[in-house]
Amino acid sequence: MAKIAIIDDDPDILDASSLVLTSKGYEVVTATNPDDGYKIVKENSPDLIILDVMMNEPDDGFFLAQKFRKEKISSPIIMYTSVSKSLGMDFGVNELVPVDEFVEKPISPEQLIEKVEKLLHAKGGV
Amino acid sequence: MENGHCPKILIVDDEKGLRIGTKRLLEGEGYSVETAENGYDGIKLGTTTEFDLAIIDLKMPDIDGIQVMKEILKVYPDSVCLIATGYASYETAIEAIKFGAFSYIPKPFTPEELFQKLSQGYSRRELILEKKKWKQEREERLLEVAFEKSRLNTIINSITDGLLVVNKNGEAVLYNPSALKYLSFDQIKIEEYIIDKLHPQIAELINKFLSSQKCEQKSFSSEVELKPNREFYVEATSSPVANPDGTLAGVVVVMKDITELKKIEFLKSQFVSMVSHELKAPIAAVYGYLKLFSDTSIHLSEEQKLNYLNRSQIRLDGLLKMVNDLLDISRMELKTVNKEIKEIDLHVIIKAIIELFQIEIKKKNISVNVKSSEMLPCLHADQDEISRLFTNLISNAIKYNKTNGSIDIIISSSGNYIILEIKDTGIGLKPAEKTKLFQEFFRAKNEKTKDISGTGLGLSIVKRIVDSYSGKLEVESEFNIGTSFKIFLPLRNGINNKEQKAGN
Repeated sequence: MAKIAIIDDDPDILDASSLVLTSKGYEVVTATNPDDGYKIVKENSPDLIILDVMMNEPDDGFFLAQKFRKEKISSPIIMYTSVSKSLGMDFGVNELVPVDEFVEKPISPEQLIEKVEKLLHAKGGV
Repeated sequence: MENGHCPKILIVDDEKGLRIGTKRLLEGEGYSVETAENGYDGIKLGTTTEFDLAIIDLKMPDIDGIQVMKEILKVYPDSVCLIATGYASYETAIEAIKFGAFSYIPKPFTPEELFQKLSQGYSRRELILEKKKWKQEREERLLEVAFEKSRLNTIINSITDGLLVVNKNGEAVLYNPSALKYLSFDQIKIEEYIIDKLHPQIAELINKFLSSQKCEQKSFSSEVELKPNREFYVEATSSPVANPDGTLAGVVVVMKDITELKKIEFLKSQFVSMVSHELKAPIAAVYGYLKLFSDTSIHLSEEQKLNYLNRSQIRLDGLLKMVNDLLDISRMELKTVNKEIKEIDLHVIIKAIIELFQIEIKKKNISVNVKSSEMLPCLHADQDEISRLFTNLISNAIKYNKTNGSIDIIISSSGNYIILEIKDTGIGLKPAEKTKLFQEFFRAKNEKTKDISGTGLGLSIVKRIVDSYSGKLEVESEFNIGTSFKIFLPLRNGINNKEQKAGN
C-alpha cells in the first residue's frame, strides 16, 4: 500500500488525518515542523506528501514544497490551507506553486480520501 | 448746475467793471464765482483752491494771463482755463491753447457767448474728471486682481494635497509643490505635454475627460500606489475645468496622501486574517476528531476515544480563552474600559495569583520568591488590570519554566516610577523571537515549547495595559537561561487622574 507523509504543526490535525488514512490502509509518517518534514520525506520517499501551508511562518509550506521540487522529489503534494477564500489570501493552483491539490481546514475525511486516491491513481497511471 | 453741482469759477481781470458784471451774471446762472484783480492774486487763488473753470484776462499790468494760467495748471492740471482777450487774433489764440488753455473768449463778449464757452468748458472739465476717475478705478482693480492672484497662489502652494492642472491638450498649466513631491518630479514644465510622464492610473483619470473632450460635471477617483510596498499611496481625483461657454478647458487632478490609512487598513486585514486562522485551528482539530467518531468505517479503542475527547476539550478551552483575550483587546482598543483607579496593594494581588497557580507550581516544583523594598510608595491603578498583568506574566513564567526552576518577583521604586520585575529560569528566548514577543498570536515555536499551550495574546495584553498607564516594558532574555520582564509604572500621572474622573 502507498506511503503518505503528513507535515503539520498541529498534533491534533496530524492524529486525526493519520487515523483517517491508516484506516484506509495507507502507511503514514508524520512530522510537526518543516525541518523534520524534510527529513521524513528524504528518509521514507513517500508516494504522496500532505503539507500544512502555515507552520511557523505564513508560507512555510510553500517553501518546503518548492524545496522538494528543486530536489526532484516528484511525489504529488496536497496542501492544507486554513485561510478563508473570502480574505483573498488563499492560493490558486498555478504553475508557480508546486502543489497538486488544496484541502481547506477543517478537513473533510471524504474529500481528503478522494483527493489522495485521485492523485495516487494518476501517479500510478503515468 | 444741472446735477445739483455748483461749478466753481475763477475770474482774473484787472477791469473792475467786467469782474463785477461777469460775477453777477454767472452767479445768477448758478455758478460759484471768485475774482482776482491782478495776475498775482489770480495765481494765489487759483493755486490754493481747485476751480472747475478759470477765465483769465490775457493782458494785465503785473503778470500776463498765459503765465497765470501756466502757474495754475502746474498745481491743478485739470482746471479748465479760458483766456479772455481784447486783442483777439489768431496768434494769441494758438499760443494760449499751446500752453494749455481750453479756448479763448474775445472781448467784449455777450452773455450768450460767455455761457456757451463756459458750458463747453465745463463739459470738458467733467470729461477730464470722469476719465481720471476711471483711470483710478482701473488701477485699483488691477491691484486687487494682482493681490487676489497672489493670494490664490499662496493658498494653492500651501495646501498639502497635490494639485495639477492640465489643459485640453494634456499640457501642464498649473501645479503646486505638493504635486511635485507626490509625483517625484524635479520640475514640471508649464505648457509641456505631461500625460505620458504620469503614473498610468493618474493619466487614465485625466484621459477620461481628454479623450471625449466633453465637460461633464463629474469626477473620477482612484487609489494609486505611487511607491511600492504600501510606502506611498494617494487618492487621485480628476475633475473637469470648463470654459465660459461650457466646453472643456482642462482637467484638474487633486492627490491626497492616504498612505497612513492604507497602512492601517493593511494591518487590520492582516489582523483579521490572523485571527481567523487562529480561531480556525482549534475548530479544525475538534472537527477532525468528531469526524473520526462519526465515521463508521473507523474503529476507535476506548483509550483513543477518551484521548480524543480530552484533546477536543483542551482545544475548545483554548479557543474560549482566545475569544476572551480578543474581547479584552478590543475593549482596550475601543477604550471602553473605565479604569477604576484606586490605591492598590501589590502584595495582596501577587499572593492571590500565586495561590491560583498552586497546582501548576507544585507540579513543576517551582520556588516563587517575592521581594520588595521597605518604603514602597502607593500605586494608584485599576486593580483588575494590574491583576491581569501579573496573571499573564506569572502564568508565562510557570509555563515556560524548567522543572525545579524558580520565579523571582521584585517590587521596587525609582523616582516617579514603581518597578515590577518578574524573573524566571525558563527556556528563554532566541534573539529573533524577542523582537516578535509582543505581536498578537506570536508564540515561540521550538522543540521546547511544542507542548505548551497558549493564545499568543497574553503579552500583547500586558503591553497594552502598560501602555495605557504610560509605562515602560523591558525584556531581558537568554535562550536556555531564563527571561526577565521589567515594568515601570508612573506613580502620578495625568492619565491616571483623568481616567479617574472619567470613571466617576
